[in-house]
Amino acid sequence: MMNCYEHTLVIKSDLSESDINKLFDKYSDIIKQNSGKIVKTEEWGLRPLSYQIQKSRKAFYYHIKFEGEGKIVNELESIGNIDKSLLRFLTVKVLKHDLEANYFEKKEINNV
Amino acid sequence: MFKPKRKNKKGGKYSKSKSSSQSNMNLLQKPGMKFFKQCPFSEKNAPIIDYKNVRVIRKYLSESGRILPSRITSVSQKKQRELSKAIKRARILALL
Repeated sequence: MMNCYEHTLVIKSDLSESDINKLFDKYSDIIKQNSGKIVKTEEWGLRPLSYQIQKSRKAFYYHIKFEGEGKIVNELESIGNIDKSLLRFLTVKVLKHDLEANYFEKKEINNV
Repeated sequence: MFKPKRKNKKGGKYSKSKSSSQSNMNLLQKPGMKFFKQCPFSEKNAPIIDYKNVRVIRKYLSESGRILPSRITSVSQKKQRELSKAIKRARILALL
């Protein structure tokens, strides 16, 4: 059965751009290998954290909306737990992807 | 044996007894408005409760970052459940 999921990655800010792209490819490959389908990816950019995580105050946010089976989530979480360049991640099951709403525009980042 | 009279019939609809107008007043209420405020998420064109929608969710936190009770914000019971879940998700990602 296909379900809709949203996966958000919080990545350490001291990584270089190519490292981040590699990391992002790694997670999108996991989804593709397990016969999942990526619907949309969002970059929220460098955002200040509301509290310190592992002594870092800022982090890159990446957001993936995908469809697939539940075993993808298991795979993502088991690899995410080991990954040292990730600060946090969150997978959420949704009934339907809303592709219109964009909550993280540039205005928002300046306000925070 | 003495039996107290039932206020509400058994199996009947339970109607809320009206308490004094003072207790119905909201802390966030503007003066001169009606005492009963509708749930802000049940109106037309209401904002979507989502952990990404940080700008909306932040209004329902106290200054110290705790979730405000629905008796103050007059969010309906169903929406309050959604809201508290969204807040907790946003906290994991350090958005709030």
